[in-house]
Amino acid sequence: MRRSMCAILLLACSAGGRPQPDEHPVVSPASVHPLGAKEAALPTGEIGRRIAAAADGEVVEIGPGVYHERIQVTRPLTLVGRGRPVIDGGGSGDIIEITAPGVTIKGFAVRNTGIDLEQENAAIRVLAGNAVIEDNVLEDVLFGIDLRESPGSVVKGNRIGGKLLDIARRGDGLRLWRCDHALVDSNIVHDGRDTLLWYSTDITVRGNSASRCRYGLHLMFSDDVKIEENVLSENSVGVYLMYSTGVELTRNQLLNNRGPSGYGIGLKETDQFSATDNLLVGNRVGVYIDGSPFSDKKPGEFTHNTIALNDIGLTFLPSARGNELTENNFIDNIDQVSVAGRGDLSGNRFWKGDRGNYWSDYTGYDQNGDGVGDFVYESQTLFDNLMDKEPKLRLFLFSPAQQAIEFVGRALPAVRPEAKFTDEVPLMRPVPARYVTADNRGGSGFLAAAGCVLTALGGGIVLAVTWPSRSRRTASGGEVSGLTLVFGGVR
Amino acid sequence: MNTISVADELVVAGRRTVPPSHARNVLTVAHRELREAVRSRWFILYTVAFAVLGLGVSFVSTAVAGGTGLSGFGRTTAGLINMVLLVVPLMGLTAGAGSVASDRERGMLQYLLAQPVTPGEVLFGKFLGLAVSLLACLCLGLGTCALVLSWQGQPTRPGSILWLAGLSFGLAMAMLSVGMLISVLARKASVAVGTAVFVWLVLVFVTDLGLMAGVVSLRMRIEDLFLLSLANPVQVFKMWSLHAAGTTLDVLGPAGLYAMDQYGPRLHAIFAACMAGWVAVPMVIASVTFSRRPLI
Repeated sequence: MRRSMCAILLLACSAGGRPQPDEHPVVSPASVHPLGAKEAALPTGEIGRRIAAAADGEVVEIGPGVYHERIQVTRPLTLVGRGRPVIDGGGSGDIIEITAPGVTIKGFAVRNTGIDLEQENAAIRVLAGNAVIEDNVLEDVLFGIDLRESPGSVVKGNRIGGKLLDIARRGDGLRLWRCDHALVDSNIVHDGRDTLLWYSTDITVRGNSASRCRYGLHLMFSDDVKIEENVLSENSVGVYLMYSTGVELTRNQLLNNRGPSGYGIGLKETDQFSATDNLLVGNRVGVYIDGSPFSDKKPGEFTHNTIALNDIGLTFLPSARGNELTENNFIDNIDQVSVAGRGDLSGNRFWKGDRGNYWSDYTGYDQNGDGVGDFVYESQTLFDNLMDKEPKLRLFLFSPAQQAIEFVGRALPAVRPEAKFTDEVPLMRPVPARYVTADNRGGSGFLAAAGCVLTALGGGIVLAVTWPSRSRRTASGGEVSGLTLVFGGVR
Repeated sequence: MNTISVADELVVAGRRTVPPSHARNVLTVAHRELREAVRSRWFILYTVAFAVLGLGVSFVSTAVAGGTGLSGFGRTTAGLINMVLLVVPLMGLTAGAGSVASDRERGMLQYLLAQPVTPGEVLFGKFLGLAVSLLACLCLGLGTCALVLSWQGQPTRPGSILWLAGLSFGLAMAMLSVGMLISVLARKASVAVGTAVFVWLVLVFVTDLGLMAGVVSLRMRIEDLFLLSLANPVQVFKMWSLHAAGTTLDVLGPAGLYAMDQYGPRLHAIFAACMAGWVAVPMVIASVTFSRRPLI
């Protein structure tokens, strides 16, 4: 599914080279349809009557309770739920549809949409500008909040929980489609498909979290985007930026995004971007760079990021050039930097002036104490090199055979690979990280307990065997009971 | 404990009101083997070496990632798995290889088999005793590592050390079983131990390097690669411990992804079956051979 979608995207975008922003091939989402006959079968409920009775611009307050109805807001109104009223869609169709500009929906719980992917059943669908969707709880929804051509909208403080379907049958938790100047703030999305921000200019995405989705954030043809302080964990991909210009990624946390894609940050033909103070931990690939930046107007800037404990810290496709990485921490990634396939990284810079990056596997020293290593950092382990060329070899990671190969690579200069890149001024100490908090699973107490149990078991066996040896020969029953004791401990 | 006393025990066991059973004979031999093993030099050597290596790995890994407070599949787990892969097969193989052959060489086996006990009972008794001694050795080594890691406040996934201990024991049993087969077949103790070291080299290095060469030169398919690697108990241990430590197998690249996609939740069972096969098959062959010609 993912592969075919990528293929479609590639097809759409490769036709005739990269399209300019003003000639985006706008593939409209499933045709906007009025609420169907079947869906309209639900009678107009209390909320519908209140809306019908309200004047334009009025604030309509809805009290607590469960409302089984579909809601169409066709006039500018502010709909406020008091005591979090529940609007239940009964498992079919959309639930709230907004067709007038300037509508506010606040404080509701919306649940139980249909599961029709073709119709894109959504909890809240916005078809007009300047909408404010705030502080709603969406549960068991196919599509959560779906904004189509609603510039200037605000989506803030919502919690969106998708249906626990197979990923191919899920919908997008949050989708912005041609929504310029939008703000997406402090939302929590989980168990959805993607959070999409497509064809939108000047948007801010701040303080959101997405987990167990496919794409935590997916940008296509969206320019001038600020992505700040989001936490994207356990998705297939944390942030995927495609064909976008002017993206700033700041203080985001990208944690444990794994799977066949498994990128913390993916950059595909994105231009004029910068990534600063982000934390990327435990992803399959920390940063994946494909053809970015695509112009030479501004280098791709990676500064003060901490890229730690990923399988691969950074992957470059051979075409990627024009990136500058300074003062980042590369800590304990199995493969710190890789080039997919053949090629080198000569078009990218890993140091600027007298500041390089911190590499946890740097073996040099700093005699003059200026904080910069006295030798260059070169990435040239033979096994890394082999893995880059033949990913199947990753199967042999952590095995002694891997170390044998690396030893050969170090001992015999003849087989030593070319350095993938060099950092002339590697830092001796990690750059102090400015992310909010590190994910610390703790477990020290448990570990101590496990250690005690293991040591006691081992020591117990030794003691049980050696201790009663004197009495063994005289008391004939002793040995059997001694053994039972030992094996009892084992079982 | 010397030969005479074992014979005494067997005779004493035979004189008891309860008739001697297979289980009792096996346990008696096992107990004797265990006692001998625990007091032997190799046990102390291996225990100390294992613990010291483990501690080294723990210290180095915490020193590197220290201060960041980050957790994940880090150098600690990788280092421990790596050390187990290197040391435990050697322990199991040499312990097994030394058992029968050296007894035979010293004339102890003849004496033992003159007692009311079958060759199969002797063999399984020895296996059991050595397995328990290896368990003690592994528990002491990994237990110390766990204590040091927790003392240093190293964040590790809860349970992973217990999994590692259990799976190391499985690997040790498999290797012990192979070692005993070698021991039964070999005429001399020195030949047995030499063969064991050679087998260790093959399992730990040669097969992996050969498979790597196959991947690169023959363009081996992923499914073939995965199935072939299942044939090597050392690889099975590695994949299983990664899988059990809560890491997804995609850390192992396309082959790991294939394994997850194809087998998913059945992976534990598959790994367990492979490991059990490596414990059972060599032992069965060894016991059949040994029962026919215990003294060569």
